[in-house]
Amino acid sequence: MAATTKTNMQLVVNGLLNENPIFRLALSMCPAVGISTTVANGLLLGVAVLFVQVFSSCTIALIKDHIHQRIRIPTYTLTIATWVTVIDLVLAAYLPVAYKAMGIFVRLIVAFAIITMRLEVFACRNTVTASFWDGIGMGFGFMFGMVTLGAVREVLGMGTLLGYDVLGFRPMLFFVLPAAGFFLVGFMMAMFNYVETLYNRRAKRGS
Amino acid sequence: MKNDVKAFWTLMLIIATLWIGGCEAPSFIKAAQFEETDRIVLTFAGPVDPAWAEDRDHFTVNEKPDPDILLDIASVRLSPDQSRLTLTLADPINQNQPHQVVVKEIVSEGRNMGTQAVTVSKPYFGYLISILIGALLIQNFVFSKYLGLCVFFGTSQKKSTAVGMGITFTFVIVFASLMSWFLYQFVLKPYRLDYLQIIVFIGLVSLTVQAVDTVLRKINPALFKAFGVYLVLVIANCIVIAVPLILADNEYNMIESLMLALGAGLGFLLALFLMSSVRERLDFANVPTSYRGLPIAFIVAGLFALSFMGFSGMSIF
Amino acid sequence: MKEIIRITIALTLSCLLAGLVIGTTFIFTAKAKQHNEHLNVQQTMLGLLGFGPQRPAAPELQLHQVHRYIVKENETMRMGYMLPARCSGGGPGYVWVELDLKGEFLDRHDLVLTPEAALSADDRKKALAGILDPGAEADFADTMIIACLGDRRTAYLLPGEFPGFKTFIKAMVALDADFQLLGLEVIEHEEDPGLGGEITQEYFKNQFVGKSFEKIKRLTVIKEPLPADYERYLKSMGLGNSGLSESEAADIRQRYKDQDIHALTGATISSAAVTNGVKAMVKKFAYRIQVLDQALADGDVKVLF
Repeated sequence: MAATTKTNMQLVVNGLLNENPIFRLALSMCPAVGISTTVANGLLLGVAVLFVQVFSSCTIALIKDHIHQRIRIPTYTLTIATWVTVIDLVLAAYLPVAYKAMGIFVRLIVAFAIITMRLEVFACRNTVTASFWDGIGMGFGFMFGMVTLGAVREVLGMGTLLGYDVLGFRPMLFFVLPAAGFFLVGFMMAMFNYVETLYNRRAKRGS
Repeated sequence: MKNDVKAFWTLMLIIATLWIGGCEAPSFIKAAQFEETDRIVLTFAGPVDPAWAEDRDHFTVNEKPDPDILLDIASVRLSPDQSRLTLTLADPINQNQPHQVVVKEIVSEGRNMGTQAVTVSKPYFGYLISILIGALLIQNFVFSKYLGLCVFFGTSQKKSTAVGMGITFTFVIVFASLMSWFLYQFVLKPYRLDYLQIIVFIGLVSLTVQAVDTVLRKINPALFKAFGVYLVLVIANCIVIAVPLILADNEYNMIESLMLALGAGLGFLLALFLMSSVRERLDFANVPTSYRGLPIAFIVAGLFALSFMGFSGMSIF
Repeated sequence: MKEIIRITIALTLSCLLAGLVIGTTFIFTAKAKQHNEHLNVQQTMLGLLGFGPQRPAAPELQLHQVHRYIVKENETMRMGYMLPARCSGGGPGYVWVELDLKGEFLDRHDLVLTPEAALSADDRKKALAGILDPGAEADFADTMIIACLGDRRTAYLLPGEFPGFKTFIKAMVALDADFQLLGLEVIEHEEDPGLGGEITQEYFKNQFVGKSFEKIKRLTVIKEPLPADYERYLKSMGLGNSGLSESEAADIRQRYKDQDIHALTGATISSAAVTNGVKAMVKKFAYRIQVLDQALADGDVKVLF
């Protein structure tokens, strides 16, 4: 893939929809299932991933000419691990309660496939600006996926949204149970697929 | 063949050592163990004096961390052969906590055997097994902790792939966890560098994978051919980094760490095997178009996760 | 060869850079972390005593921290208490008191320790090293907090940890001077969301409020569903606008005062774990504080609480 020709806006939309990390690329599924029980959790982890993705992408784009081909992957890992440690320390210091709710997942961002993959296919071939917007797109795409899942699970499972009572009762406690994360992700992926087939069919008919 | 026998005896020896190491062996009190919810049974090396045993003041029981709070003893009963003594406490015993029993001035066949203290705890071997089973079934990393899903869905299409991945993964995780445990306990913690744990552990895991790759390629090319392809995927699996982090958070000792890592690896193997068995059959099922591939796999995994919830709360030892 | 050197240099440089970034962040966040944690604990404590943004605490309210140690010396054990006291200069300081296992007063020493330094485990250890015998070793056991208004003890706060359904549950319990339960706060837990995780809900925690010491000693969980009126009362506790009139609330409180704890639906083990944990914490504390008060009177030690 050569340097991208997309505009910044297109890069962001690409990350949000066409290449949404959770529903389209099916990467980083662990947090999508594990801690999308509430909107707040999803939002916070989304912010953490956004931070790591943007900073790692920019770092790699900045030093891409100096990276030796053979130590490419170790350099990516090192970069990601550094930024994950930074956000981990910052969250632990300034948002201790929310940090504890997410448990081990913040530190596990280091093993999220989505970040390494964006560095490999995008940041090491593009300018800092383009990588920045790509990182923003991917980060927001992840956050969008997490918040959507979190919203469905929180409303259906607990009857609340962002901690506020919206329904006054709990329609299906099942959705808050961890196992339901698998079902919901499955349903959402199927929905994305269905929309895509509809869209393709219409496009074909149009042409 | 001879090697197998040797390995077997070595294993037995290790198990026996663990077993004996788990319970202390005091001189006159041969054994002490919990029974039911509120009893401690002491076994003596010889018959003790019934008149001595009748006096409740000769016995004190306390939870090990709370030496200043003595527990109320409701009754003391001696068995007919005078060598087994049952202490019944007024309240149920918290058996997760080791208890200290002090027996004063033991009288046996007219001789004073002195005061002896003994620690009562659950058998250590049972505790180790419970860690193993815990990581394998009850807290299965895939179905109960939701980790390692990318690799899990990626390699569970065929049974052969699944088993290969599971075995490779188990080996790597045991090595990597033990190494990171050493590094954490003897370098990071003493020098207060725990904030570097993420970067150190991920580096260590990559290093282990690289080392296994090189060694296997040289020593056993056939094995490398079979399992080499999965090695790269191991790094992308978050379980392999989660286990060292959990070990660091929980302060396990070396054998406990080994058990947890083994349980995590075998648990992943089990999950992969179960999932691939279902997915091989799914290929012949008539699945709606939108659900083909990953979506239906997620729903199957959800069903597995639901059934694995049935294991939760199970306590074996 | 040249390539290897280049790779090594590049890797070393990146590692150094990474170390620099992480180190800087660590230095900047370490202080903030400690500060925020302290603030959080402080807020939890005040919240348990019924204070909050709407009801600020009285300025003369003092929270005295008492640290308990187990002292080991040649096979024998003693209890050591680090107690806030007025030091010789008149300012607030700490005094070290040792009791034997039966609770008899043994010894006392004045400590060189300011209340701020006493918050850090390291500083406490340093202060202790100066007065302990060379062969003795003091292991930190726990901390309890005694809230005082003037000379009067108003409440005790007990931080503690007990095994839950999955891993450990960290909680804090508030007792009044007669060991009646004022409040329970679950600080940290890893129970399942939606099931055991509900132990953080008001309607569960508030069931403990108002239980007398006699009741706590025999407290168990029952599997009956929570009665509707009781649930409404529990949920509205401390909020002010419950829709329940004063007399109705008093009536409900009276009716359920000696009720055992209703287990959470689908999480009996978590509920029982909390109940037993609280029970054990309160029982041990009540015993210890009585022993300590007696010993302080025997040894004629003046403390701030």
